[in-house]
Amino acid sequence: MSHAHPTTPAFKSNSRDALANANLQTALRNARGHFVDKRAAAAAKVSEFEQIRDAGREMKNHTLAHLDLYLEEYEARVTAAGGHVHWAESAEDARRIVLEICRSVNAKTVNKGKTMISEECGINDHLAANGITPVETDLGEYIIQLRHEAPSHIIAPAVHVTVPEIEAAFRKAHAHLPPDRDLSDNATLQMEARRILREKYFQAEVGITGANMLIAETGQSVIVTNEGNGDLSQSLPKVHIVMASLEKLVPTLDDAATVLRLLARSATGQEMSVYTTFSSGPRRSEDPDGPEQYHVVLLDNGRSNMVGTEFQEMLRCIRCGACMNHCPVYQSVGGHAYGWVYPGPMGAVLTPSLIGVEEGGQLPNASTFCGRCESVCPMKIPLPRMMRHWREREFEKRLTPSAARYGLSLWAFFARRPALYRFGTRMGMKALRRLAGGRGRLASLPLGGGWTGERDFPAPQGKTFMDQWKEARR
Amino acid sequence: MSARDRILGRLRTALADPERPQPEREAAVAARLRGEGPHAPVPAFAQAHGQARLTQFMAKLEAVDATVSRVSSLPELPRALAHELRNRNLPAEIRHGADPAFAGLDWGAISASTGIGRIEEPATLSRARYGMAETGTLVLASGPDNPVTLTFLGETHFVVVFEDDVKAGLEEVWAGLRGSGLDPRTVNMVTGPSRSADIGQKLQLGAHGPVALHVFLVSGSGLTDA
Repeated sequence: MSHAHPTTPAFKSNSRDALANANLQTALRNARGHFVDKRAAAAAKVSEFEQIRDAGREMKNHTLAHLDLYLEEYEARVTAAGGHVHWAESAEDARRIVLEICRSVNAKTVNKGKTMISEECGINDHLAANGITPVETDLGEYIIQLRHEAPSHIIAPAVHVTVPEIEAAFRKAHAHLPPDRDLSDNATLQMEARRILREKYFQAEVGITGANMLIAETGQSVIVTNEGNGDLSQSLPKVHIVMASLEKLVPTLDDAATVLRLLARSATGQEMSVYTTFSSGPRRSEDPDGPEQYHVVLLDNGRSNMVGTEFQEMLRCIRCGACMNHCPVYQSVGGHAYGWVYPGPMGAVLTPSLIGVEEGGQLPNASTFCGRCESVCPMKIPLPRMMRHWREREFEKRLTPSAARYGLSLWAFFARRPALYRFGTRMGMKALRRLAGGRGRLASLPLGGGWTGERDFPAPQGKTFMDQWKEARR
Repeated sequence: MSARDRILGRLRTALADPERPQPEREAAVAARLRGEGPHAPVPAFAQAHGQARLTQFMAKLEAVDATVSRVSSLPELPRALAHELRNRNLPAEIRHGADPAFAGLDWGAISASTGIGRIEEPATLSRARYGMAETGTLVLASGPDNPVTLTFLGETHFVVVFEDDVKAGLEEVWAGLRGSGLDPRTVNMVTGPSRSADIGQKLQLGAHGPVALHVFLVSGSGLTDA
């Protein structure tokens, strides 16, 4: 699967397939709780965690409100350090820029650290189509590249793959190794990937990484990783290309500290990821290693259009993945069902912004509005509220399915006539109570099969809210 | 008009605020870049002092699967290193950079070579510019003294850090970097040996970087010893 053609409009059927996929369900069950418990423990150990979240939100709000100025400042620092900043308005621009840089050094192989911006731009397919081999070096990304899949999670790209499936992929791809070798546990699998990729690090002419942050004060790009692959990918080849979107800007090193204190704890429950690397420019004249060229591709791809709208706050996102780890919908169907680069609640808000509500409008509907995403978001992004905004836009654009539109109009008809509405609810309650008989629960409900297929519907108890309100005021 | 101008133009239009003229916005940015804040609260675990700071640093190192030993003075380093290499069944070889801390040391039976990291490096040695008690992090500055490839290609990575260079938290590290005028191409923060949970969501040490990380915490500032 590639992201060239979003399957977001098919979210419903994607989800049905995901629920019926036994391997996927095994992998998701295995991951469930893993992230949730670790994040909770890490957050609980920091008594100032809430204040740091507030500070993070304020810092990002300030940055976004002055984004034009910080971008100019950042660009000036990168240039002063001998680096190049390339502005890309669209994914197509980014593909063209990356290919031009690769061609300028006759690159045959390009090593990739983990970058979602590269996924968003479809860099791998574009390089391959032009005769350049992209090699994913993050272990999870390597696994899914062998399986010709897209990541299903923004920080754990292969979270949907079971261990036996990984073994099968390795046996198929590493056919030059003895077929009877032991790959029975995680350690031997990881060792094999380590050995194979170690050689690749020394072959590539270009290394592409993402950036967790861009710092205006210093002109540095920052990557945060656990494996060390991003650093090998950017240190060994002749050329380092950083792919980052506009909203990765933070003003100063002190502001970067705020993000670092939130990021790993929210993502994996670590206090600090293993490698946090600050890079500025190409190797200096006295440096014995490091890239000779340093390029930053700054991607807009729809983000500047979010600034000044009700979706601006989404640009505070630091891509920790906590929202999807805690989302009951994501936990049930995994990331591929969302059909494009960004899954889970952050994807449900970001996707329609980037590829349009016509394509991505299904995703904001994939939420029960339980609010767990917002409660764990380190940047306190009001994700449910923004999903609601998308639902409104979808309705305004008449993209909502006719049954839902009809239902909403019917509801609106009553809601605008309070007397009729109250009479209706009173009658409805009585009817439901009678249907439930003495059990107080309904095993099936007309038009409510989606609910009662999995669980009983509780019959209404007592009086309507308005009746209780009137009585209490008396 | 270039892509740059169009992107910045869209942002300027979207962010234009009749209540806040452009000079006022520019002044706010300049003030923040000068370090005038506002600043986030510095958490208590990033403010340890004195002996408590060293204790926290060592405890955090162990919590992230690194090991640590104390060395009383720099000339003692070769013996401490030989001991570690033997205990780990590693060959008596070490690869390091041109850091002044290593110059003039008598490596004894250890075959020491200077240079960048190669494809197979059983053991490499670096000096961290700072240690950070906040999270058990080593802060390395790349350059001829400590080539960045040694940090990532060593199967076992040994790192020297002087006690006086152990900082409480990120804020102190920034102050140190800004104050010393150090401007390395990369600043590498290392918190434990490399790891991945991409296979079956089970954490496994030794992904692409070092499988093991050992810290020699050397007394004093290094200046008096060297």
